[in-house]
Amino acid sequence: MLAAVKMKKSLELINSRFQLIVKSGQYMLGYKQTVNMIRQGKAKSVDLTNNCPALRKYEIKYNATLAKTGVHHHSGNNIELGTGWGKYYRVHTLAIIDPILISLIAYQSRLVKSKTSTVFLSFFFFFL
Amino acid sequence: MGKFMKPGKVVLVLAGCYSGCKAIMVKNIDDGTSDRPYSHALVAGIDCYPRKLTAAMGKKKIAKRSKIKSFVKVYNHSHLMPTRYSVDIPLDKTVINKGVFRGPALKHKTQQEAKVEFEERYKTGKNKWFFQKLWF
Repeated sequence: MLAAVKMKKSLELINSRFQLIVKSGQYMLGYKQTVNMIRQGKAKSVDLTNNCPALRKYEIKYNATLAKTGVHHHSGNNIELGTGWGKYYRVHTLAIIDPILISLIAYQSRLVKSKTSTVFLSFFFFFL
Repeated sequence: MGKFMKPGKVVLVLAGCYSGCKAIMVKNIDDGTSDRPYSHALVAGIDCYPRKLTAAMGKKKIAKRSKIKSFVKVYNHSHLMPTRYSVDIPLDKTVINKGVFRGPALKHKTQQEAKVEFEERYKTGKNKWFFQKLWF
């Protein structure tokens, strides 16, 4: 249960960070556009949901390894990804084009990880 | 992060009568032109793969079974599947270019040029994967 709560919290935080990118407009939602971005070498990072069809997931991963682009496996499904980006539709795959925001997200996600791990540890010590 | 659709890359053709065939990218146009407003590439590929050879076959039989039929075509990037392989065959860019599709005679000449290069490379035994038929 704790793990589920932790995951939900980190998901919300990741989603809130997406608001930054949405405002700057440096992203592409949807399979066709992400594959185009990867092929042209413009995508700096790719996100896949957990219920992305296996063949599509494999194809994007293969193209991303050829382009040396990082692939992030989103812990939510396509409904959550679409909602997180403020859209009223479902999104399986997305590509982020701006490099500065990638590093920002990476830095913040590392902060989140350390925060949640300290929360967990404190819980553990409490029960001891 | 990096562009990988480059000349020399082996791609699989996904659409059209040559679907399932392996091809080499000869020229890549990323942004598109006025008559093709999408990213596309000129590829030269293998239509009929060389047949399987065994040790028991004589020279004449081997020569017949090592024949390759090639094709030259312009494809939309979304109809190509890039692979991690690349083949550095020196395909003559002055012969294999987009102007070739104006007439059948020119196209045939280009296909002959590609065929000769492919057969030469096949005989050396390099790039084995490229000359094997894709089973699906």
